[in-house]
Amino acid sequence: MTSSFHRRLLLGTGLGLAAAGRASAQQDIGRAASFIQATGQDLVAAINDTRADLPTRRQRVASVLRKAVDIEGVGRFILGRWWRQATPQEQQDYLKLFEETLIRNLSARFGEYQGVRFSLGRSQQRTEDDVLVNTIIERPNSAPFALDWRVGDINGQPKVVDVIAEGTSLRLTQRSEYSAVIQQNNGSIAALLTAMRRQIQQLSAREQGGR
Amino acid sequence: MPSPHRFAAALLTLALLAGCAARPDPTDPDAVAEFKQNNDPLEPFNRTMFSIHQGIDKVVLRPVAVAYRDVVPQPVRAGVSNVLGNLRTPVILANDMLQGEPRRAGDTLGRFLINSTLGLGGIFDVAGDHFGVRGHSEDYGQTLAVWGVGEGAYLFIPVLGPSNPRDLSGFGLGIASDPLTWVGQGVTVDVLTGVRAGMTVIDTRESLIEPLDAVNRDSLDPYAVLRSAYRQRRNAEITNRLDNVAPANAGATGFGVGKGIVPNP
Repeated sequence: MTSSFHRRLLLGTGLGLAAAGRASAQQDIGRAASFIQATGQDLVAAINDTRADLPTRRQRVASVLRKAVDIEGVGRFILGRWWRQATPQEQQDYLKLFEETLIRNLSARFGEYQGVRFSLGRSQQRTEDDVLVNTIIERPNSAPFALDWRVGDINGQPKVVDVIAEGTSLRLTQRSEYSAVIQQNNGSIAALLTAMRRQIQQLSAREQGGR
Repeated sequence: MPSPHRFAAALLTLALLAGCAARPDPTDPDAVAEFKQNNDPLEPFNRTMFSIHQGIDKVVLRPVAVAYRDVVPQPVRAGVSNVLGNLRTPVILANDMLQGEPRRAGDTLGRFLINSTLGLGGIFDVAGDHFGVRGHSEDYGQTLAVWGVGEGAYLFIPVLGPSNPRDLSGFGLGIASDPLTWVGQGVTVDVLTGVRAGMTVIDTRESLIEPLDAVNRDSLDPYAVLRSAYRQRRNAEITNRLDNVAPANAGATGFGVGKGIVPNP
């Protein structure tokens, strides 16, 4: 830290502004990384806490996700162009179902993720408005894999806005999926909501069986 | 085996006969933007091909992959995977060089020399495990992309999986430029070539059992999810953004480009 500060001084006044800009960006990256670190630890602790019963663990995961994820922003991004065509009632139902899907998707995998470990990876970088925080997910008996978390600034708070695995963004893939469901049903948003309800039922059935 | 190009031409003819996707309402800019973004003007045809593929997969590909995993112990499967990967290195090397990546080319060449000798003909990945030179994948589809060739319309091809004209051409070039395609002739060579192709399909499908099960089980529209995941992942591969290793058997097109199209491989 100190040596790089000295080097920056030596670079002279011409680069002073650039260095200041970088310093504030670095601070952002640091904040995003520690935010992800804390969120990840909370999630891992909730998943691995086998002493608690299933509903309690799901509750804990749900509260971590509600706190850490920009659920409304991500939900609206994923519904994309259909958001404006939805009635206010449909929008409200959709956001509730979306949140439920997010939570159930994780809780249905508790068994699968038992013993999961989580650590910050080596590269943290800034993109246009967000910070990409790289993490490594390790599970017993399977190869570790990298997961990138896109952290945005929502009203002054860091929030997760996307998760990227092997170059594949979850929100882009899910937008494609939801839009395809609506299109295959002649533009009916109600059809998507029905499909989401069915999916939540299936996930909760698996949650019961998979622990 | 029909040449990939003739195969592609036949498919395109079929696609034209099957008709194209309904164009979006030109007065709705969002709908037009999405249509362009999906890059799938042949969607009805592709969806038909996808359901044919799902049928084949359910009856043949997946059961064979599951049986392979049940019967053959993991160390042997890893060895098979390594041998297939080692056999692919000449094509990977050619593409490293064609893309002007001397460092990656050096890695590939070094791996080939070490694994073919110390690794007993490629059975053991000595270069990766003991020398820290990890493998990566390259193919002609990626090289064409680096050279500025556009992907063209999205295609779904039964057994091969998601693709497009550029990656499909790359797949053909990969076969044509593979030295092993041209070595010798006769029944033995044909049998070995067939075994290699068959093992590549089984090995690839085996590595994809969990991710594809997850997509088929959890997704509201597996076709759309695979289309989106394939195109995103392919773009990341082209820019070499992924420093994690593609599987040894990664091909130029289709599911073979990588394990873990969803976050839980």
